[in-house]
Amino acid sequence: MAKKRTIVGSPLTPALLKELGAVDALPSTSRDFNPADAWVNAYRLWTCHGYRESGNQNVGFLRIERVRDSDAAFTLKVHEEVLQTDAMVGIIDGAISCRNDPLASPIRWNLSSRSIGADGEDIPELRNTNNGVPTKGMDRITGDWCLLEAVQRLAFDKQTSMSFNLLEGMSLSKPDHRLSYGGVHSVNMGAGDTRLHRFVQFGSGILPYEYWLDARHRLLIVTSMNKAYLLDDRAGDIFARDVEQARTSYRKKQSQRK
Amino acid sequence: MKPNTTAKHSSRDINRRDFIKIGSGAVALLAHAPITGNAFAKRRRRRPKPKNIVLIITDQQHMDTIAAGGCRHVRTPALDRLMKSGVSFTQSYSANPLCSPARSAVFTGRTSSECAVHVNGRPIRSDIPNLGQWLSEQTDYETFYAGKWHLPRTYTSDIPGFEVINTGIGGFGYLCDTVMSRACEGFLRNRNRAKPFFLVASFMQPHDICEWLRLNMNNTGKLRYPELAGALPELPNNFDYDRNEPDSIKQRRRGNEPFKGRWDKEHWRYYRWSYYRHIEYVDAEIGRVLQAIEDSGHVDDTLIVMIADHGEGMGHHQMVRKSSFYNESARVPLLFSWPGHVAENKTDTHHVVSGLDITPTLCDYAGIRPPAHMRGVSLRGILEASERLSRDFIVSEVSTNTGRMVRTEDYKYITYKDNLVEQLFDMKTDPGETKNLATLSRNASVLVEHRKLLKEWENQLDVPSNVPNGEVWRHKG
Repeated sequence: MAKKRTIVGSPLTPALLKELGAVDALPSTSRDFNPADAWVNAYRLWTCHGYRESGNQNVGFLRIERVRDSDAAFTLKVHEEVLQTDAMVGIIDGAISCRNDPLASPIRWNLSSRSIGADGEDIPELRNTNNGVPTKGMDRITGDWCLLEAVQRLAFDKQTSMSFNLLEGMSLSKPDHRLSYGGVHSVNMGAGDTRLHRFVQFGSGILPYEYWLDARHRLLIVTSMNKAYLLDDRAGDIFARDVEQARTSYRKKQSQRK
Repeated sequence: MKPNTTAKHSSRDINRRDFIKIGSGAVALLAHAPITGNAFAKRRRRRPKPKNIVLIITDQQHMDTIAAGGCRHVRTPALDRLMKSGVSFTQSYSANPLCSPARSAVFTGRTSSECAVHVNGRPIRSDIPNLGQWLSEQTDYETFYAGKWHLPRTYTSDIPGFEVINTGIGGFGYLCDTVMSRACEGFLRNRNRAKPFFLVASFMQPHDICEWLRLNMNNTGKLRYPELAGALPELPNNFDYDRNEPDSIKQRRRGNEPFKGRWDKEHWRYYRWSYYRHIEYVDAEIGRVLQAIEDSGHVDDTLIVMIADHGEGMGHHQMVRKSSFYNESARVPLLFSWPGHVAENKTDTHHVVSGLDITPTLCDYAGIRPPAHMRGVSLRGILEASERLSRDFIVSEVSTNTGRMVRTEDYKYITYKDNLVEQLFDMKTDPGETKNLATLSRNASVLVEHRKLLKEWENQLDVPSNVPNGEVWRHKG
């Protein structure tokens, strides 16, 4: 008999992520954390199939490191990996130089993407690089990774609102975006209420993004439709373990086929 | 790249790549001998052949979701570009508006019931070759696949006839389509221009609207983002539905989230707004592939075809998702582009075409005869020379082989097994399918004619005995 599946019914929020088992507790932020200085945030990429009982899983991780270059500029070092069916892995990494302005406006970027096969082998035929600078006509642009930095420096104020054009992955142009402060919310994470600040982003080519930050302005959770970025120091280790399990499972399946 | 391990046969010397493709399908392919030295082959050789073919597939894309086609709720620069550079069809139908069955028809030119893919998650019958097997058998195209397959597995590294360059992740197009399009981009930019290829880029989006429905079923009565209230698209003109529809349609509607969640009109409109954002997402990923084709110098040598497996209800008739014969679910975008060969910026509103036409059309372009028993036809004459298609009608099937749709130039006829309620719509005067003419005695002769067309169609099919209801359709009429 097929297992009963319950439709989730509501958009992803921190409390719902807790209910669905995606997060146990929110990470605590050091008193020294300064969003305008050097820091590293690692996130698990988690997805939801829309049912409570099945199909909800970690599928990747994202590591962002902010390196302060000067008062006027900083560099974001980005590394993202996504695990796909049959243990294939898509990786993108590199660096984005940004202005120290509210949008973290990109100055230049050097990124490379690659694919790893089920046995851990690099597939050179699929490698690609994306080195660029904003071109003429690219007005008020920022990147999706840049926003993960920028949002931490914004004021928790009803007046905070920015309009911009998104350069997603520093490659896909998605115009007419707006990011606004959405207030402070009491979130029940199981051990009493926690107060989180929310920013909301709308624009072409995306489902609304919600950025959830703690009082120290550290970005803890990002949700957009069926995906979530969950701040977790262990994200890289968890991903490495998941990849290894996927490879083992794939090898087993292959040997059964033979 | 990871080689596949499945069927390929060649009358040429077998090299390593050929060898690894030989598998269970080889016997079936042997039945279709290569074309050599006959008149057919000579005729084919006279027409130019694109060096490469790229087939782009989206999942669950409503027909009216391309800005260049008149949709004012989306930005779709990539699909606009493709549309303006080639030919688009407005009367293009899925051969079965459900993922696996629709794909089986696209990749074989045979009906989903013949392929034994009457529901999701079934493999194509082993004696019917898919396009990858056929092209790699009959031509010098190397065949590559990226993204959703679903015949039977949704995502897999093992697809007969193809080398899989990227698998994707089941159910998460919002994330995996980006990884997939980046792999395609890398492939296109690195590909040796001298070596012909057939690449399938099969996107999951906008299918994630299914996840959206499950994540937004409840909480009606208050918009999650009140600031969007002024931006929500209106409800469609055919939002209301006929209370005397066939039972299977009524049941499908009742089982979907809007009825379970008792949606109000504003929530319906929010769903439509969200669906358009899914469209824009996949458009951007398609744009990445198109840009890579252009940047790598392949554009003049490459035939690009874009199709969706099936449509999306989008609130028309208060339906969501697919598996109905209403236009929103059954009609799909279909675009062809090959600069200098396919007509530019042409919208064909006349011909009724089908997903079944993809395989014969691509075989025609590849300069080869298609596999035996094609149920579709080549569209090349329409694409290049404004020829008229002589075909009078197309037929679509529906999930578990329980329904049939006959679409003629003027009418759409719908019938379900074990259901006395038939539907007949005059597609010229009632494109929203709001007035069922089947109950009116003055349309009796039209009904009889369409039943007859269906019976004749069914009698030519070779449906395996393990497919349910095959006998029903052979005898219905």
